[in-house]
Amino acid sequence: MERFQRQIILPGIGTSGQQKLKSSRVLVVGAGGLGCVILPYLAAAGIGKIGIIDGDKIEESNLHRQVLYASEQIGLYKVKEAADAIIKKNPGLEVLVYEEFLTAKNAPEIFSDFDLIIDATDNLFIRYVIDDTCVACGKPFVYGSIHQFQGQVSVFNYEGGPTYRDIFPEENKSAPNCAEAGVLGTTVGLIGMLQANEAMKIILGIGEVLSGKLLIYNLLNNTQQVFEFGNAPKSEKRHISASFKLITAEEALLGESVLLDVREQGEMPQVNLENVQQIPLSILEKELGSLDKSAEFRIFCQSGVRSRKAADLLSQKGFEKLKLIRGGAQDLLLETETNRIEKE
Amino acid sequence: MITVNYFGNIAEATQSDSETLDQKSMSLEELLNLLDSKYDIRKFQFQVAVNRKIIPKQQVLTISDSDEVALLPPFAGG
Repeated sequence: MERFQRQIILPGIGTSGQQKLKSSRVLVVGAGGLGCVILPYLAAAGIGKIGIIDGDKIEESNLHRQVLYASEQIGLYKVKEAADAIIKKNPGLEVLVYEEFLTAKNAPEIFSDFDLIIDATDNLFIRYVIDDTCVACGKPFVYGSIHQFQGQVSVFNYEGGPTYRDIFPEENKSAPNCAEAGVLGTTVGLIGMLQANEAMKIILGIGEVLSGKLLIYNLLNNTQQVFEFGNAPKSEKRHISASFKLITAEEALLGESVLLDVREQGEMPQVNLENVQQIPLSILEKELGSLDKSAEFRIFCQSGVRSRKAADLLSQKGFEKLKLIRGGAQDLLLETETNRIEKE
Repeated sequence: MITVNYFGNIAEATQSDSETLDQKSMSLEELLNLLDSKYDIRKFQFQVAVNRKIIPKQQVLTISDSDEVALLPPFAGG
């Protein structure tokens, strides 16, 4: 315990706190700018089990902020290099690596091995998958994200507290990521550090967790503001999904049906399958005449919000065979890709 | 005076982090319409906070002198 002596003597930690860290299991989704800060600090503090999931390889344009990696590692998978870097920080640490991207399909099984999820991604779509999966399996997640010189931090689904969808319910609009908007290493560094700090507080049961609060930090003028929010009324939340069957992309590709894409024209990724029919949600009501009421419709969008609205509308108009595809376009594409490779 | 603070990509669209409107009182709806006509803010996803409390955009609410409104978009970088 000599290794952890300086934190054990802190009020509220002690040997029992250190034991809590040792027995905790934390999954970090994304081994990019935020992950590169969160991972070594959690490892060094004595967290017992850390999972890292990311399908990306190291690129030269990552190195200015993803400080776990160096030039000679360009082209290698981030998760393996990150695991090698943090395992040395604590001999008792168990690291699990997932050399893949998180999807609606793999999330439930992967999350089941962990108590706490940290969102270190740069992707809005995946954030809704993390949120939905955390709600479904009752786990809290620590959110962090940046825009240029500003960062946001919050903790969602903590002890019945609000979720990401409670604060940002509309998934059908985009926000620029680092590649588009630019990023300074110190900005992701600070926000990642705040996320690691929230994770430690949750595990140790100390301080005030940022549940129901959104912290925004502006690094250009060093101001921080905390905004409070509550749970959205249950009636407005997920009431629709309960009444329609959710199927996986794998199931969606079996048997006869119309795969109804309710995203706007040009949204990526495109899903080019014979039985895909694209009618954006915005014009669905006008285009109902072009749909065959006797067919089974398996509906998808980007993350599940629009497909639920579309199903609700179709149901009101007398359509009966309606299913929602979990994971949306992303999962369908992965699944068709998998099928194609298996056939070859 | 009503203060409006902007964050993330909305601050880019407004080209400022904050501005004060020379208004004594107006409804939240009127305020959002005014900002939309100036900056086309409805193309963004955002939440509204009044005096640091996030509230539904549709809420019927009067914004008064010295209130602080914030437009909060989600961030996506990491």
